[in-house]
Amino acid sequence: MANSLQPGVGGATDSRSSKPDTESEFLTQVGAGAVLRGALLKLLEIRSEDPIGFLAEHFQNLAQSLENGDSGCAVEGGNKKQHQQALQEFEEQKQHSRALWHLTQAHHSQRSAFNNNVAVAFSLLSRDDRKRKPGLKGRVYTELLRRVCRDGGVAEPVSAPLIKKLRCQDHEAVPFDLFRHGVLACFVFADFVRKSRSLFETVSQSDRSLCRAVLGSLRDALETTGCSHPARYLEASAKLTPGRLAQAMDRAQTLASGTPSTLMSQEEFIEEASALIISRVKLVS
Amino acid sequence: MCDNIVACTVKTPVALQIGDVKTDTARPGVFVIDVTFPHSVNLQEISFKNYYTAFVMVRLQKVDPESPESAAQWVTCLRNRCLMPSPHTEEGSQDYFSIYRQQMLMEPDNVTSIRLILRQPSSVWLNFFLEDIKITECGTENSEKNIPSWFSNLTPEEQPMNLQAGLPDPEKVSSSIQQMWALTEVMQTNQTSARVGRFDVDGCYDINLLSYT
Repeated sequence: MANSLQPGVGGATDSRSSKPDTESEFLTQVGAGAVLRGALLKLLEIRSEDPIGFLAEHFQNLAQSLENGDSGCAVEGGNKKQHQQALQEFEEQKQHSRALWHLTQAHHSQRSAFNNNVAVAFSLLSRDDRKRKPGLKGRVYTELLRRVCRDGGVAEPVSAPLIKKLRCQDHEAVPFDLFRHGVLACFVFADFVRKSRSLFETVSQSDRSLCRAVLGSLRDALETTGCSHPARYLEASAKLTPGRLAQAMDRAQTLASGTPSTLMSQEEFIEEASALIISRVKLVS
Repeated sequence: MCDNIVACTVKTPVALQIGDVKTDTARPGVFVIDVTFPHSVNLQEISFKNYYTAFVMVRLQKVDPESPESAAQWVTCLRNRCLMPSPHTEEGSQDYFSIYRQQMLMEPDNVTSIRLILRQPSSVWLNFFLEDIKITECGTENSEKNIPSWFSNLTPEEQPMNLQAGLPDPEKVSSSIQQMWALTEVMQTNQTSARVGRFDVDGCYDINLLSYT
């Protein structure tokens, strides 16, 4: 790059005096430093699991917002009210998508990053441009929960009981704690359904009573930790060792050896497994 | 396993010296400490912190349980226990020591009083004694805490189990189930007690607006 500049520098310095000579001058003129700094700060704030994808989307959004900023002032007169309503709905949809995108950036197990993203999403959704009623509405919250479950690969009938427990009425205001709890519950539930699906792969060829026995040991362990005494966690985990599970499955198989075997379908398995986790979610009031 | 420290009275050390204690300028080389108990005990352990004592001898006063009226006897249970390998040097001078019943010459049962005889032949040190004397009694046999039954299941059994063929892999099943259990626990511990709020719709909850029909 330096070589290619050489022939030009000596000859036509007058015409190129407006253009910077060194790389650092070029960068400051373009403002690339500030843009990159902003992008890196945002990346650190969100701590996405896919940093390259995040950066690509960030720059895309930036470009789009610059375009929109230019074209926004072009709307004048005409059917202003109708246009405004349509624009408002479009804005709402965009806000939804942005909030959802923020929430999916960090996995819920990375607690501080996830909490950060939840806070950003909450402030995004609570903003009301008309400044009449700032705060998250119940309708928006319930819709967001449904989308989180759907995007997590959970079918409607499976997630319906959970949504029923977590939902808020349309006119109600959702405080931040409740929002965080609901969103976290949906993400955890999506993970849980994924895990039960993979578990079903392992036990799919076995008898129904064996599947029931496996779920039964999970229920047993959950009931043990019900009173939240620290030693109970050790006891519950002792019940879930490979040895104990093998014994349980062996027992179930022996008991079922006389009767004709019936297989369990995936939907049934997932339904029974989800019932275990949903029963532990408190109803929102 | 027994942690029963017995209440006892430790008397002040008495110097054994030839000549008058007050006028003689030479420092004593022998101290005697008496420890008495309110009732007879079966000793488990005698522990103390040394302070520049070179040798210690332990004598016990035992009482015969069958005939309580007979005079108590003094027996030597530890003869010349060396606490400092070289009395002129620092080694062992401020260490903690324990004397267990297995190290004693006689069974330390039904003891009413202990006599600790301390000797320090070196003239280098100004004074010497034993600090922090603790006597531990033998506990009862069933002093074990109740260990839950699942405790013994924590270490896996070595012998291979006779499992039927065609069972799904227990390792995979176990890992999936454990992850599902952990997710449920996360769900459970993240319950919030926040209540849903109500939007104030321009004062429509004002009591004056309720209808009178």
